[in-house]
Amino acid sequence: MWEFWVRSLNASTIFALAALGEVVGQRAGVMNVGVEGAMLFGATIGFIVAKTTGSLLLGFFAGIAIGAVVGLLHAFFTITLHGDQVVNGMGIWILGFGLTTYIGSPYAGPLGMSRIPTISGLSPFFIVALIFTVAIWFVFFKTNWGLKIRSVGENPTVAEVSGVNVVRTRYWSVIFSGAMMGFAGAVYALDYNPVWSYNMLMGWGFIALALVFFSMWNPYILLSGAILFGALWQVSLNPESLLPHIFSRYIWRTFPFVITIIILVIMSTHWFSSRWGAAKPEALGQPYEKD
Amino acid sequence: MTEIKHGDIVLQARGITKRYPGLVANDHIDFEIRAGEIHAILGENGAGKTTLMSILFGLTRPDEGEIFVFGKKVNFRSPLDAIDLGIGMVHQTRKLISAHSVLENILLGHPRAGAILDLKKTAEEVKALCDVYGYKIDLNTKVWHLSEGEKQMVEILKALYRGAKILIMDEPTSALAPPETKKLLETIQLMTKNELAIVPFITHKLPIVLSVSQRVTVLRRGKIVARLNTADATEQSLAMEMVGREVIFNLERPDVKIGKPVLQVENVSAYDDKEYWATRNISFEVREGEIFGIAGVSGNGQQPLAEVLAGLRKASTGRVLFRGKDVTNLSSLERWKRGIGYIPSEQRAVGSIGEFSLVENLLMSYYYDDLFVKWGMIDAKKVRQLTQELIEEYGVATPSPDVKARNLSGGNLQKMILARVFSRKPRLIIANLPTQGLDVGAMEFVQNKLLEEKKAGAGILLISEDLDEVMALSDRIAPMYEGEFMDILPGGSAQRETVGALMAGHKEKAVGA
Amino acid sequence: MKLAGYTLKLEKKASFTGLEAIVISVVAILVALFLVGFIFLQAGVDPAKGYQAMFTYAFANPFGAPLTINRAVFILLSTFAFIVPIRAGLWNIGMSGQLYFGALTAFGVAYVFGARTSGANLSGAIVIPLMIVGGAIGGGLAGAIPGVLKGKFNTNEIVVTMMLNFIGYWVVAHMIKEGGPFMGSGGEGEGFKLPASIQAPIVSGVSVLTLVIALLLAVLLYVLFTRTRLGYQIRAFGLSPAAARYAGISPFQIALITFVIGGALAGLAGYHYFGTTPNLNQIPKNYGDFGDMAFYGIICGLISQGNPLAAIPLALLFGGLTSGGRYVQGKLHLSYGIDYALLGVLMITLVAFQFFFRYRVVFKKES
Repeated sequence: MWEFWVRSLNASTIFALAALGEVVGQRAGVMNVGVEGAMLFGATIGFIVAKTTGSLLLGFFAGIAIGAVVGLLHAFFTITLHGDQVVNGMGIWILGFGLTTYIGSPYAGPLGMSRIPTISGLSPFFIVALIFTVAIWFVFFKTNWGLKIRSVGENPTVAEVSGVNVVRTRYWSVIFSGAMMGFAGAVYALDYNPVWSYNMLMGWGFIALALVFFSMWNPYILLSGAILFGALWQVSLNPESLLPHIFSRYIWRTFPFVITIIILVIMSTHWFSSRWGAAKPEALGQPYEKD
Repeated sequence: MTEIKHGDIVLQARGITKRYPGLVANDHIDFEIRAGEIHAILGENGAGKTTLMSILFGLTRPDEGEIFVFGKKVNFRSPLDAIDLGIGMVHQTRKLISAHSVLENILLGHPRAGAILDLKKTAEEVKALCDVYGYKIDLNTKVWHLSEGEKQMVEILKALYRGAKILIMDEPTSALAPPETKKLLETIQLMTKNELAIVPFITHKLPIVLSVSQRVTVLRRGKIVARLNTADATEQSLAMEMVGREVIFNLERPDVKIGKPVLQVENVSAYDDKEYWATRNISFEVREGEIFGIAGVSGNGQQPLAEVLAGLRKASTGRVLFRGKDVTNLSSLERWKRGIGYIPSEQRAVGSIGEFSLVENLLMSYYYDDLFVKWGMIDAKKVRQLTQELIEEYGVATPSPDVKARNLSGGNLQKMILARVFSRKPRLIIANLPTQGLDVGAMEFVQNKLLEEKKAGAGILLISEDLDEVMALSDRIAPMYEGEFMDILPGGSAQRETVGALMAGHKEKAVGA
Repeated sequence: MKLAGYTLKLEKKASFTGLEAIVISVVAILVALFLVGFIFLQAGVDPAKGYQAMFTYAFANPFGAPLTINRAVFILLSTFAFIVPIRAGLWNIGMSGQLYFGALTAFGVAYVFGARTSGANLSGAIVIPLMIVGGAIGGGLAGAIPGVLKGKFNTNEIVVTMMLNFIGYWVVAHMIKEGGPFMGSGGEGEGFKLPASIQAPIVSGVSVLTLVIALLLAVLLYVLFTRTRLGYQIRAFGLSPAAARYAGISPFQIALITFVIGGALAGLAGYHYFGTTPNLNQIPKNYGDFGDMAFYGIICGLISQGNPLAAIPLALLFGGLTSGGRYVQGKLHLSYGIDYALLGVLMITLVAFQFFFRYRVVFKKES
């Protein structure tokens, strides 16, 4: 059982890191549906750098850096060029998916480096995710930065006339958001499952995106959701330990995706929204144009 | 900054000019504002007030001209520069973040806010400010819970907390009910005692200008046409200066026989989008040939009520009868087919589709009509011809029916929407703020068209913020406040003051008046 | 910005002409190909030679050209699956899931007729049309899920369709692998092969039946959007949901109808590729590659601005890029996935070029 929970928490770490990144961007009003793309970049570049330099640390830095670059790209397209956020996010996803397939394939296979030490099987990155959760909550609700971030996401025009630099605030939020996704990808490829294969994340980025909607943009709820999904993922991989011989192992693999849809539906019902309110940032998805 | 004395020039504009393609919005504007003075700037829609305000607050840069604040020449790059120099702005459409608390709004963008917010200290400082002006407000309330008057209060507090010495106010009384207006006027007079300069920009409401300001500057077509001491001005003289001609506001009120009820509303309640009660237990009826006016400040439940009647929002209680038949559970489409016409208040977001041509916009009311659509295929020729006819009949200024709706002016677009809705010969017309934002000419046109429909025997539900409009057109008037009808009064004999007090929620006072 | 006495200014464009759209799209594609040239260079291949080999194989080679056309039909149908909902402002990125389900139901029809075991003398005239209908129904049902959820609960359709892609992927695995009901006789994780009697007609390596269907659909969809009531309702909703609702158009119906049509078209794409391509006629082991290829539908749909006729040449070009890409990869010893790289670069370039649909760059001489 310990084994199961440890694997679950390790998986939830990756969901949480990526989704926390997305929350920061969305709180600032910029949605990036290309989480999966940014994570693939972080995973692939992190993997290649670690493998060629022999340094895990450099690998993580490379993953974070490429994530930040992807964030910058998204910021430039959506904030400076006023591009449609969904279209651009799609672009980032397909770019990440296509390019990393090509870049990574010569390195396909295991990383072949010693594993990062664990705490009885628990990845130290889970602690990192915990710290990020608390820190991001604190920044959101207790600091001037957080007030600015939330304000440009709610109503950029008001933020601007109050003296907030909307463009700068959004840029930094989106770049940070990309860096977190890159980091999440690197944790996957260097720690969770250090074997490169094409399209290795198989939808984790999209689940992280869905998690943000579940979380009502609150880091604590988000972390709980991530843990739930980490457990679901483990169940789907090892159904025999829990419920043997019901479905084929392939049907079990659909499990987390089916649950994602079900939870998403529950969250979007009138029943739910009227009880727990819609915390959705009001300006989410809308380009801000000063005139 | 040196001590400001009463009467010092705090802000001076010299030769401010701003051109937009095809028009000069501000043409060599000169004026000065003094400490401790209320200096009203008057002008009609389109006179250049908005541009001038934007320039003074650093939102727009002038093409020519200079601004001096406290004697120093300034060059605003953004509102932040203006704020830093002590210019505060109270916007007409409130610039507050509704999801945030009052305190967070006041703190937002404040230069002295530390990296980690000290909410306690700020709260104390703001409370001290509140005490000076007698404001009572819970600083932890989320702004969307507040009334219009309270929101304005928060904007003023925000400006003062940032050290504003010059307060620009855009249509300060426009969204306020009469008692809130009174409170505001008291407050700004108190502020002048503290040597603040108050610069209200005003379109209508001339009595208010006369009652509180010391000086008035009148703008017309981008130019200053008059500089007056308020003491020397009268309502008529100001109106003359603003419009450039004598204003005659006169509507022929036709004598129409009131017939059977077309709309009966029984105990209707509804929630708004945030799941709060928006309208409560509304009952009334509208008869053939009657204009039933709902008077009230926006946000008192008129919009949800109109949507319930149009089938765009669910009624949580009660029923709606149209020509005697229960239509409570019918879809909007079914209601249009049976003869209800709805003119929504948002003409660009709801009443039309900007990217569609006028022909396609007309189709919004015809796509379900088998005379225009056969076997699912649209008879484009027929629709185009009808559009052409309506454009002529309603005098819509457009080069062709293929022009996109986006390119029409507000007045012409509203004419097109009216044409679309009225051409279906509705028996009931729900007109939600039909003249909002229109110039005088278009306004008169719309009002006359409503009267024509009345003559033709349609029942009309008119929702308006403009008390004069409601008084002039309606056969019966229901003042609406916080989701309820305060009363239903006969249009001909109702007193303006009574209706005004009722729409502000003052039931007792109205009875006494 | 100032350049040698000229001021460079960006002006917001209200609309663009068809010619402008074509020019911008062509330039975008050329820029993407230029960028991919660097990938060739990095791999030590002369880009000009690389592209030459690619395009010659794709469009002038007796083996490559039919493959290109078959892929173009596949991409075209995937594009339609994207276009119909996007005209209503809804994002269908679930083409791959829908085509998996469509392929499963199409093969399910064949299965019911006993095609897996006997391969007997089935009547193609009966089974093939039924497989086509079956494919459309399967895809349509898969599309109905996001449609209903969007219409009823306003559930984010991007996440739902993407989740369904993965669900479809694993359901196919369940059906064709490890003793699944559709497992082929080879037992190596691929589906059963259609017997010759119910293989679609092939002319010079091209599946003509599905080609004709796809072209007819292009015309049909064009008429749908420009001339019909349904098309009008879809477009109105896409441009302004609030105004459409006011006009009496039901958001639920629009979401459901557009997603069902989209899903059905993707289902046809599934039947087309797995059911008719010569030498395939089965759900192959690497079916996931074709699910990925369906994402070209997004690019194609965005470039064509939702115009089904404009999508035809684009689909042909992208079909060529994928078939030629795979070919040069082998021939020039590039690493795996040059076609994927192209997909990615094309997409991001296109996204960047969206800018030019909204702004025009103006040079003004200093006065």
